[in-house]
Parts: sequence; structure tokens; C-alpha cells
Amino acid sequence: MPQFLPLSAPVRAASALSMIAVGALVLTGCTSGATTTSSSEPVTGGTLIYATGDAEPTCLDPHVGGNYPQALVATQYLESLVSLDTDGTPIPWLAAEWTPADDGLSWEFTLHDGVTFTDGTALDAAAIKTNIEHIQDPATGSSTGYLALQKVTSVDVVSPEVVRLVLSSPDSGLLESLSQPWLAIESPTALARGTDINCESPVGTGPFMVTAWDRQNSITLERNPDFTTGPADAAGDGPYLDTIVWRFVPDSATRYAALASGEVDVIDNAQPDAIVASRSDDAIEELDAPRPGASNRLELNSGKAPFDDERVREAFIRSADINDGITSLFFGTAERSYSVLSSVEPLGTSTPDLFTIDTDAANTLLDEAGWTRDSADGIRSKDGVPLTVRFPVSTNQSIPAEQSLFEQIQATTRAVGFDVQLEPLDLSSWYGALGENQYDLVSAPYTKVGPDVLRILFDSSGITPAPSGYFANHSQINDPALDLLLEQASAAPDATERASLYADAQKIIVGRYFVLPLYDQQNHFLFRSDVQGLRAMPTVSTPTFAESWLDR
Amino acid sequence: MVATSAALLLFLLTAAVLPGLLAPGNPLAIAPLEAFQPPSAAHLLGTDESGRDLYTRIIHGAGPSLLIGAFATVIGLGLGGVLGAIAGLGPHWVDAGTTRFVEVLFAFPGLLLALLFIVIAGPGPLTSTVAVGLATAPGYARLVRTQVLAVRRSAYVESAIVLGRGWWRRLVRHIAPNVGGTLFVLVTLGIGQSIVWASALSYLGLGVSPPAAEWGAMLSAGRTYVGSFWWLTFFPGLAIVLSAASTTLLGRHLQQRTRSS
Repeated sequence: MPQFLPLSAPVRAASALSMIAVGALVLTGCTSGATTTSSSEPVTGGTLIYATGDAEPTCLDPHVGGNYPQALVATQYLESLVSLDTDGTPIPWLAAEWTPADDGLSWEFTLHDGVTFTDGTALDAAAIKTNIEHIQDPATGSSTGYLALQKVTSVDVVSPEVVRLVLSSPDSGLLESLSQPWLAIESPTALARGTDINCESPVGTGPFMVTAWDRQNSITLERNPDFTTGPADAAGDGPYLDTIVWRFVPDSATRYAALASGEVDVIDNAQPDAIVASRSDDAIEELDAPRPGASNRLELNSGKAPFDDERVREAFIRSADINDGITSLFFGTAERSYSVLSSVEPLGTSTPDLFTIDTDAANTLLDEAGWTRDSADGIRSKDGVPLTVRFPVSTNQSIPAEQSLFEQIQATTRAVGFDVQLEPLDLSSWYGALGENQYDLVSAPYTKVGPDVLRILFDSSGITPAPSGYFANHSQINDPALDLLLEQASAAPDATERASLYADAQKIIVGRYFVLPLYDQQNHFLFRSDVQGLRAMPTVSTPTFAESWLDR
Repeated sequence: MVATSAALLLFLLTAAVLPGLLAPGNPLAIAPLEAFQPPSAAHLLGTDESGRDLYTRIIHGAGPSLLIGAFATVIGLGLGGVLGAIAGLGPHWVDAGTTRFVEVLFAFPGLLLALLFIVIAGPGPLTSTVAVGLATAPGYARLVRTQVLAVRRSAYVESAIVLGRGWWRRLVRHIAPNVGGTLFVLVTLGIGQSIVWASALSYLGLGVSPPAAEWGAMLSAGRTYVGSFWWLTFFPGLAIVLSAASTTLLGRHLQQRTRSS
């Protein structure tokens, strides 16, 4: 397809595009358009509009902080050293091959030849070193990337193509960590411009480049004309799209209406009722990509009363009845989880028996723990202190259905004498409440590839905040036995041993009632059926448009 | 029209004072398996996303919703009344100072002023009530000042001065009753506006916390499902509209009567 579209005139481009769409339809005939992989020839060109319901990142460089909204958009312009195939096996990406040392204390990565960043800087071993040091530099304020690289003590440039990562102890999850967008590789020239500029226009090797960021409205991404890389499992020879307009549309009903009318092509954070409604619409398809790492779960703050008492934690979990709520609020789009790990994690163990509802047992446990029920409103108390449970809820991270589920938890646990106080907060106030230990319950999503997420979430060192101020161990488990298990599992070279150690660790976490698993981290995308070649990365389930094209 | 408004207001007041009389159920009782039921004989106005009965919630929501509206009006009027009275009764320089201050407040749109206060004081039912009260105060202040000035310069007040009546007596016997009549009308008009504003704040998540039955909060919770289950937003919205409309209509009626009498 010739490149005759004047990019500076979006309106004209749009009408020209619709002509192309008609032309393409005639040329390709009636394609089924129902699947994400199509037999017809990809069409080059066009603008895809993506409407996200996630919070707008404050920085487009996912090294800084490191949350899912950043990962979603960064997947389009940054690439990692390695990727994963659908079975979770590491595959080449920017690194063509890698070998660990026999003692597991260092890894050598060999980079692909002749790759350049979109600013012309060459991708070499020194660039990798700069990136890892950038993530580890406290001044960067990284949390996700920083926590994933805790075992990396130094990076050596062996040759221009070979880089060596030196570890403090073996890390069986290193490749999984490196596959994530929060550890993606950026141009060292661009990084040298300083955090502020790099946050606005990070530079990578990915299929698209950030060309504009109109805050609170949209980010414009344009095709990287010199794109040569891509993970080993990439299909086709894209990118095909000229432009992606990444719009921020926080209201879910508006987002779905925009998709249904064809104003936008893809939406994320699709609400359960919208997913169900879309199934009767032939023009809309669904992509369900549960996130890896932890399941969505409530964490009980064991660092202070009342949940420092295991009996109180058990009583809460035994009385929080959520199964009917999940069925009705999610319309069958989410399945109840009984595991602290996502269902896509092979090493997750599911223990439904621990979570059966038993209000009699809950009442007995609370009686034993000294929480008596003598007030008229049915709330228990002990030494004059009511059994109040503070529950700050991030309205950015919890979808409305989930917030309704929390109200139901509030209602069912009240029956045994808990007074759950829901506090809907914006993201920064929510971080503030966690930072000041002003919470007893919290639902905090955490995405990381592999079971090593357990070390980040439940190792006692996670009670200490990362440089960004974020701390990940919200249940505040401080158990040396668990720390040891997680360290051994992380260092275990043998897969069977690793699996058994992680099983033991999960036994402690769920067995002592630190968490109430809800369901997988929901990650539903809806898209117009003429969007072809859309897939979710097998790493952290972010959609990639590297292979997408518009069949119109 | 007036009779309908009065009847509706009476119904809402009953709901606010004795909700159990009109809807004996518990507004917070969940029944997840009965969620999203359309209006039917069993659930007059349907059920919400947690299977709670919407009719029960709207009846029980009348109390907090109307109370916030009424209290906010009282706060706004109280504050505005004091400012307006000071400006109207005080010497010139006090009048000038107070009026400038009120004009500065006027420069902010009312809701913005309310939001500003919530940012400082933190969200909650009490702060949103005070916020709406504060936001409406400048309007009342200006009206009270004009009224006070008019009454102050009236012949009967001048006669009272000539007759040597003290300032306190003049205020209580002459000024207050004459300003008060107009204010009563303003109050009924103001309550409707305050209900809408308080609902707006709860809708934005800055007022009453979930899952409390409050109309604005219910409207907000239902908006996600506006495309699939209309009754979740329609009925709480209707309650807001009807209560605001009936108090306003009644206020207008009173206004006309006081004018014509």
C-alpha cells in the first residue's frame, strides 16, 4: 500500500482511510474477520485507536515506578532481552542466545547484530549495562524492575555483543524477570537526557515510537520504519499500522459505547456486563488474557491488630462469602481463585478447602480470640475497641464490579461481627494510606512473570519500601521460615525441587490465612473484528500491535 | 401542581423520618443471586448489582439525601445571613470589605468552591454538607445584604430611629422579621439546589461512602451498568429530580404568595 496519506491532516486521512477500507474489502472479499489470525494478506497503513481505562501513566518510561498502565503502552515501543512462548519457555528477543555459568552466579547474553534504537543509537552490551544500572539506580525510583533485579550485583561488558550479569545467588526466575516490559531496553542516549525528558519520550527498538503525548487525552505512537527485531515467535513482517492513538477514557460505559459505535478500535478493562453484551455483536471480538503472577486477592495486614491474630484472620476469611457475588457481578467472565498465584502460573496450588464458608467456626474463633459481641449493632469489640477493619480501595485499580464485591464482603463479614470500612481513594491517596500503615485489608494487584512474585509479595524484606516508596508485602508477613523457602526456591536449579519449595511456601501463605484469593487479575480486551493479528504477549499479557493490521 | 409537590414532599419527608414505615426491609441486605433483576412485583424498582432492593434503598436514601440538602442550606444561609447582615448593617467600610470578600467567593463557580473545600477537609458526608453550604453562602450573603439595606432605609426603620429605639430592638422587631419572610422562600428554593449538589458530590465519590443508601452514590454505582440495566440509574435519578423539583415548585409558589400579599 503506497504511503500517500498526509499525516498532518487527520481528518483527511480518516476519510482517505475509509476509502482504503472499502477498497480493501473489495480486494480481499468477505473475510470472516472473527479470529485474531486471518488467512488474508495483511494491509499496511491506517490508524488504530486504543481506548484505555487504566490510569494515565505519569511517566512513559516503565523503569520509573513500574505499573501495568506503563507496561500496556510500553509494549508498543520498547522491547526486552528475552520473551516467552505460550508455554512460558524463554525465547530470544533482543538477545539471540544466553548461557548461565555452571554455578548459576552469572549469565551471558549475546545480542542480535545490527539493531538500532529509533534515535539511531546502536544496541550493544554497553546499552544493556546502562539500562540495568538505570533500573537499579535509586534516583530512577523504580519499584517493579528494581525488585526483579535484586540479585543482580553487577553487569560486565564482555564484548560489544556479549553482556554478563553477575548475581549474588542463583536466580531461577532471571529470564522471566527480564522478559517483562518494566525491564525493557531503552536507548542509553535517550536515558542520558534525564528523567523528565525520558518520561515524555522514551526511545526503544519496538515496532512503534512515541511521537506525542497530549496529557489527559492521548499518546500518539507512529510506526518505526526501521523495525528489525521482534520476539522469536512473532508472526508476519509488521508493523503494519501507521499510527496508534492511545486514548485515555476512564469511564467504562463511555469506553464501550465508543467501541460499539466504531469510534475506537480496541478497549481494555472491559467490564463484565459489556463483555456479555458484546457477545451478541458480530462486529466486536474479545481477547481474554489473565495476567501472570499473583491472583487478585485481599491481603490481611498481619502487622497490627486485629489481623495480627491468626484466629481473627481465619474468622474473616471463613465469613467472607464471595462465590455468589463473583458469579452475579462478573456474569461468568471471572472464575473464583483459591490460589495466591494466577491460574496461568503452572506452579500455583489451589486449595478450595481452606476457604469454605463457616460462620459458626468464625464466631467461635472470634469468641476465643476475645472479641465479644455486646453492642447493639452486632459489631464485636475487645477491651472497648470495636472490631473495625479499614479497607482502602483504589478506584483506579478496582473495577466497579470488584468494588461491589467488596461491599458484599463487608455485608457477609458483618454477620459475624466485623465492621469493614470501605474507603474509596484515588491512586495517590491509596498509596499514601498503605505507606502510613493505615489499612487492615487491601487489594493490590501485582503482575510478575513466574512464581518468584511470591518472594516480592511475601518475603519479609518486602515490608521495607522500594526506592519509589512502594512496598509489596502488604500482608506484612514476617516469617523467617517462609523467607528461607522462597530464597531456596529462587535459587533451586532443579525444576522439581523448585516446584515443591514453592508449594510449601504457598502452604504457609494461604494456610495461615494471610490472603483471600478472589480471581485471576482480569484482563479483558474488546476489539472491532476488523482488527487483525492482535495478540497478548505471553509475558505479562499486554496486547501487542506489532503484528496488527486493519481489515477495512 | 402545588398539591402534587406538597404530597410528594410529604411522602419524601415520611421516607426521611420513618423509612421503615414505607420500606420495612434492610437497605444494605445483599442477595448476590438476585442481582440485576428488573422491576417486578417482588422488587418494585428492581434490584442493584448486589441484589439489594432498589425501592428500599431509595426510601432509606431519602434521609441522608434530604438531610444533606437541608443542612447545607442551613449552613449556607446561616453563613450568608451573617455576612449579609454585617454588610447591610455595618458602617460603610465594613460593608465594602465584606462585599469585596463575597465577590471574590463569587468568582468561583459554586461547585468548584465545594470541591476546593473537600480537597482541604477530605471527603465524607459531613464535609460534603459543609462544602455545599459554603458554596451557596456567597449567593445568600448578597441577597441578605440587599434585603437588609432595603429594610434599613425603609420609612418604618427611620421612624424607629426617630422614636429612639435601640439598635437591638430595631434589628429584632423590624429588620429581622421583614428579611426573614424572603429568606424562608429562599430556603425552600435552596434545598432543591443543595440536594442536587450534594448528589453530584456523592456521585463524584466525595460524599457518602459506599454502600450507604444515598441517591447520588447510588446513581454513581449504577452508571457502569447504564447500557445494560437502566433501572439502576433511572430511579435514583428520578428521586433526585422529583425532590428537587417539588421543593423548588413549592418555593416558587410561596415566593409568589408573599409577593402578591
